Amino acid sequence: MNAVDVSSREAQATIARRASVLRGAFAALAVALVVAAWPVMRAMPQFGAHPLIYGDRVNAIGPAERHITNMVSAINFDIRGLDTLGEEFMLLCTVTGGTILLRGGRGEDRRAQPGCVRGRANHRPPDSLRLLCRMLAPLTMVFGLYLAINAVLTPGGGFQGGVVIASALLLIYLAEGYAGWRDALGGEFFDAMEGLGAALYALCGFAAMGLGRPYLAVFLPLGSLKSTFSGGSMLIVNLGVTLAVAGGFATLLIEFMEETRALNPGDDADG
Amino acid sequence: MNSVFADPAAWPICIVAGLLTLAGVLLAGAKIVPTLLSDIVTLAATAIAGGMAAVLAMRIGDHPALYWMGGWTPRQGQAIGIAFLADRAGAGATAFAGLMFTVAIWFARGHFAGARNHFHVLMLLFLASQCGFFFAHDLFDMFVWFEMMSVAGFALTGYALRSPSLDGALNFTILNTIGAYLILMGIALAYARANALDFSAVRAIAQGQPDDPLLIAAFVLITTGFLTKAAQVPFHFWLPDAHAVAPSPVSAIFSGIMVSVGLFGVARMVWEVFAPCPVVRHLVHVGLMSLGCGSAVMGAVMALMQRHVKRMLAFSTVSHVGVALIGVGLLGQQGLGGSLLYLAGHGLIKAVLFMIAGIMLSTLGGIDEIGLRGAGRPIWPAGIVMGACALVLAGIPIGPLDAGAQMMDAQARSSGLHGLTLVIGFAGALTGGAVLRVTGRVFFNLGPTSGEEDAAPTDDEREHANRPFAAQLVPVLALLAVWVLFGIVFASGAEDFALAAARDMTLDADFFPRRGLPHVTPVLPWLPALIAMAIASADLNRHHIPDAVYGAFAGASRPAFRMLQAIHDGVIGEYVLWMMAGLVFLAGIAILGC
Repeated sequence: MNAVDVSSREAQATIARRASVLRGAFAALAVALVVAAWPVMRAMPQFGAHPLIYGDRVNAIGPAERHITNMVSAINFDIRGLDTLGEEFMLLCTVTGGTILLRGGRGEDRRAQPGCVRGRANHRPPDSLRLLCRMLAPLTMVFGLYLAINAVLTPGGGFQGGVVIASALLLIYLAEGYAGWRDALGGEFFDAMEGLGAALYALCGFAAMGLGRPYLAVFLPLGSLKSTFSGGSMLIVNLGVTLAVAGGFATLLIEFMEETRALNPGDDADG
Repeated sequence: MNSVFADPAAWPICIVAGLLTLAGVLLAGAKIVPTLLSDIVTLAATAIAGGMAAVLAMRIGDHPALYWMGGWTPRQGQAIGIAFLADRAGAGATAFAGLMFTVAIWFARGHFAGARNHFHVLMLLFLASQCGFFFAHDLFDMFVWFEMMSVAGFALTGYALRSPSLDGALNFTILNTIGAYLILMGIALAYARANALDFSAVRAIAQGQPDDPLLIAAFVLITTGFLTKAAQVPFHFWLPDAHAVAPSPVSAIFSGIMVSVGLFGVARMVWEVFAPCPVVRHLVHVGLMSLGCGSAVMGAVMALMQRHVKRMLAFSTVSHVGVALIGVGLLGQQGLGGSLLYLAGHGLIKAVLFMIAGIMLSTLGGIDEIGLRGAGRPIWPAGIVMGACALVLAGIPIGPLDAGAQMMDAQARSSGLHGLTLVIGFAGALTGGAVLRVTGRVFFNLGPTSGEEDAAPTDDEREHANRPFAAQLVPVLALLAVWVLFGIVFASGAEDFALAAARDMTLDADFFPRRGLPHVTPVLPWLPALIAMAIASADLNRHHIPDAVYGAFAGASRPAFRMLQAIHDGVIGEYVLWMMAGLVFLAGIAILGC
């Protein structure tokens, strides 16, 4: 932790000696760990062996009791839905933490000129790029929605769909430039989307309790197999995840972009 | 009110999901909700969460209950979904966490003016994840909450955003992420063998194949991860670096409850999942007890060598949690109960001490013991509180810390381990002596000559609290009042509850039953505190000690001190090597015990 002068020859020699000791220690410890892991690796189930009772059981439960065909969604949003609730709030926690760390360094002032990097010209994007992005962005957003909603039938879900929706926002940024993008969208909107989306998941569990069932139990009609609206309340929690993920990624995009904002004379770079 | 909510088994998920919902709503209203309102809402939520957990602990009594999310109860003996376990151990720990967070958020008013609601969101998620961890009855679910807790911790550590605080936060993040990765590998191994993640299901498999290498390896990996969070030697290196730079209300949470979460995880793993494996029991009894002894001794010595008060308190946390780890390693109900009580007592006192450190930072403008000599005289009430806490830390025979130590000691002596008192006394005497020395130097202008602490790392940081000294002292005194309540008024109740919680956690098993043994002589319990006072007065009166005597002592101890300082140099690569060494140590004991 203390500042030490490392330029002298003795200091360099000490550092070199220490590094070689550390490398030796690493090699010895790594060998010891491999030796210790050997009996464990020998005891592992054979590759491709199929004693997967749990997987078989879930494959039976999904179509029969939830009328859905994508078992990954059955696990994520219903059978082990509590884990997903935790993961979703973990994402919210990460985004909030990142926001605090980034904002701490530069404040929240939005008046200053954004999207500037010293020494780099700030060209208006070429018209061809703008046209392409304006066409692709809505399509990408619809594709994200499709991925999210169709999770009960085919691979997909709120996490994937939310990320795709957020990348559509990135296309809008490419087309409009950062300043226009920021004015059009605004961080408050994404905060609300993220927070309320995550809260929707947790509230969905309480709704089941209000109807006299266990937390996160299904309380909507299950629909018919192979239809988009099957799986009961899985649709709602999935929507919550979609909103939270899209909002979270959009917030991160904004915060990263804000890092390029030129500081005003009054802003304190060190917080 | 619906009858679903009246069932106490449903309360754990109500607590966790309620806190999560509130965090989401507060984030959504980040721009609208004024800070005062979010202060009030957050304080109310943490207090209600803690209160609900306390009522739950009373109501659930001798009948721990499982609550299956989504109604996915086991089918033909196979667990399908995830359950929360409502028992006295989890509920008691949650109630304690609620108390700690309430006081820390109260104390933090004014510290985080720049972060607005985001601070509250992170604190609510931090508490919710700890509650989820305490109630989880599923390996992977436990890991999810554990990870969320880590993420909240990383962000809160780096909040100050100066370069040392980023160093500390990075060390914290890297080491704990490696620990989490080990846990995940351990869970994968356990799942490979058991095809289930539910505690009872994995335990049933362990009962059938008690010598299975996969299960033993899973235990070693998971325990290593939890011991990293619990900051036990040699996985402890992140703690002093993180503590030194985290805002002091956050440090109070780290030392008060977060490191205990790691130990709670170890105890859950030992008793609820892997206890049927004889190798695991051997590993716990030999390996964890040696790591605990090592942490207790090394943390105490390091604490005495510090001049940065928060680093000193961090090392004292390593030492005291080491003592509690010994309690887990004793493999008996009384030892475990003592360990839990000791952790609670330590958490209360350590949180108070970190808040005092925060007061020093905000009113005296520094945290360096030598630099602040005599500066604390205007805020002498803080000095009196600090001195009293130092004596409690040293182990005066009052309060939960000492009650827990006595329970562990009784268990140890009934298993024939008579040296435990010495370890506890050593840890208490050195850490208490270090804090007493700070008190004397900062608040009473003693100790003009400094000794080995002179060479310790220091840092000129400060925190700004927009509140007067008295307003900062009130939460501190409130926490002390809680200590008095549990230490003196309800002393026997607290002891009984700790035993009951341990009985729940051990599933009523006891590998080393205790025998009633008489407590030791009445003079001996005061000895560590007396030694602590002797150490502090010797350190503060160095200028009166003849040079020949002092020089001989310093010359003899200097090489060891130098070496210890050199190990804790903040270089992350070396820290990771130490982690590997610890993993090899545990694996070696497991292999030799086969």
